[in-house]
Amino acid sequence: MTEKKVTVPNRLGIHARPASLLVKAAAEYASDIHILFGGDRVNAKSIMGVMTLAAGKGSELTIEADGPDEREAVEALAAIVSDGFGED
Amino acid sequence: MTDSGRTRLSHRFDGTPGSPGIGIGPAFLLSVEELRISRRNLSGPGEVEREIRRFDAALENTREELRRLSKNVGDLIEGKQLVEIHMMLLDDPTIRRDVQDRIINDLVNAEYAVSQVLYEVLDRFSRMDDPYMRERAADVRDVGRRVMAQLMGSEREALLNLDHPVVLIGRDLDPSDTAGLDREKVLAFATDKGGSTSHTAILARSIGIPAVVGLREVAEHIQPGQTVIVDGIHGTVIIDPDQDQLHYYSELQARYRDTEENIARNATEPAVTEDGHKVELSANIEFSQEAEQVRRYGGCGVGLFRTEFLKLLAPESDDEETQYAAYRHVLETLSPEPVIIRTFDLGGDKFLSELEVSERNPFLGWRAIRVCQDRPELFEPQLRAILRASVLGNARLMIPMVTHVEQVVGIRRQLDSVADMLESEGHSVDRDMELGIMVETPAAALGIDLLLPYVDFVSLGTNDLTQYTLAVDRGSPYVANLFDPLHPTVLRQIDHVVRACHAAGKWVGICGQMAGDPLGVPLLLGFDLDELSVALTLIPDVKRMIRVMSMDGARDLAARALKLGSARRIRRLVLDFVIDRYPEVLLETVENGEDGE
Repeated sequence: MTEKKVTVPNRLGIHARPASLLVKAAAEYASDIHILFGGDRVNAKSIMGVMTLAAGKGSELTIEADGPDEREAVEALAAIVSDGFGED
Repeated sequence: MTDSGRTRLSHRFDGTPGSPGIGIGPAFLLSVEELRISRRNLSGPGEVEREIRRFDAALENTREELRRLSKNVGDLIEGKQLVEIHMMLLDDPTIRRDVQDRIINDLVNAEYAVSQVLYEVLDRFSRMDDPYMRERAADVRDVGRRVMAQLMGSEREALLNLDHPVVLIGRDLDPSDTAGLDREKVLAFATDKGGSTSHTAILARSIGIPAVVGLREVAEHIQPGQTVIVDGIHGTVIIDPDQDQLHYYSELQARYRDTEENIARNATEPAVTEDGHKVELSANIEFSQEAEQVRRYGGCGVGLFRTEFLKLLAPESDDEETQYAAYRHVLETLSPEPVIIRTFDLGGDKFLSELEVSERNPFLGWRAIRVCQDRPELFEPQLRAILRASVLGNARLMIPMVTHVEQVVGIRRQLDSVADMLESEGHSVDRDMELGIMVETPAAALGIDLLLPYVDFVSLGTNDLTQYTLAVDRGSPYVANLFDPLHPTVLRQIDHVVRACHAAGKWVGICGQMAGDPLGVPLLLGFDLDELSVALTLIPDVKRMIRVMSMDGARDLAARALKLGSARRIRRLVLDFVIDRYPEVLLETVENGEDGE
């Protein structure tokens, strides 16, 4: 299992569009991927899960993955978050 | 969750009789979106598998629907993003798993499982702090609705492929629900909404199956497959009856069938009073298939052929040809008896979506002749169809809701020009077809002398005449008790109209509900109406009344009623008259629901 902590940098936080970016990226990997925040642990391939995280600006997320491509998966998702989802 | 702790009780619901008769059988629920989705417990692995397959198929079909939608939104970035999010919601693995888990673990139908998961998800959204995210609940709801519609679509398919007879239960039956329905497989209807003139009631009467309408909340108390008794005579529905109730209603069912046979035997007797006065007794119909029934019930033609349903049931179809086929069938079936075709009475409470307008007082607004004269594209095909059919039997044309002389003059002119057009196209038409009006407003009743020069006959629509005279909407529970066609002002108008018509040498009939009322019949006979037109199923009762009455007695009664000052006193007078002289009439008259104009 691989995991990595990232901080949400963009002003609006993880709303619908960022959530869909994360889910789309997660779907590319075979590993099970989860995002942990504020006591919740959601499936990163579930748009509903990611949206309902309600992670605003400054939130610290943990991305964890378990599977054949776990390392790549964690890196890719973490990069999308720290990049601010191409916003701001 | 199990039902084991609950005591099983039969439930009784009271509504409005929609169509007489008794139907007993398993319930088939027509799920409607706003309805709380009914929970059905699955019997075993086979059913579980079937429900999961239905759910997967619904997801796949919704995906296909979204793909098509995405093409249609074109280059709109926002639209594309929205569809994309909807697609992701649809593909969401956790939601899918949650629904499957519920089907498997709780042994419930797919609709119920989806609705429960949706509630949970929506609840989570509604508790989010960010207002933007709270609004995403709308997206979830939208996708959920699409999936539900797909699931119910497959239910509709099941409805069209019934392998055993059922009792159809729903909030309301839309024409689209009942189109293509196998009538042999439907024992009865029961609906939450609707009155005795709603689509459901009319359809049920026309095909002769029992129905109860206006039950308010029966649909959510019935589980699919539960045994239901529908008593369309008294307007009662019983869910999960006990042995005594089943026994009682089976007997009632048999008795009702006997009455029906009795009716058929009396059909050939003439509608003549004891002292030899002949009354035209005809039928109110709304479907062309009812034409065959008119003779069976002993009617001598059609006093009111409502045409709205030709339009409401098949709004997309080729207007003129669909209507022509319907008029032709009725005219040919009943020839040489007269058939009075009333032009579209749309508006008021009968809407066509393309004509739906927002008015504060629809009954004082754009309805009937007012709509027709403003919309030639709606009205002209109707006039063409009627004129073309006019040569095939004894057709008469009747215009509803007339208030102004110009309206009648306008129709005359339009009829002439449509007839010219048809003849130039090589059709033959009956140039002498009688044109009549419905008198259903005080304007037409008090101004009958102004209208008579332009018409061949008159038919009183006493429901609307009462509503407009007394300014009472009988659909309003607050004022419905003030509605009474025996009110002195309504009777005075009827008397006035009949006298004026006879003085002008024209015939006058009535197609209102009053003509089928045991208290209305003696009065109307006494007022010298030439024709009474009533719902098919009421013909035998009314005929029996006419046959035992004397014209002298009826005239005397009408004269005395006109001298009384209140509806209550008139009602008392007529009731005493009937009880005194013809007690058997009241005893024999089965409550057949109501129907009329």
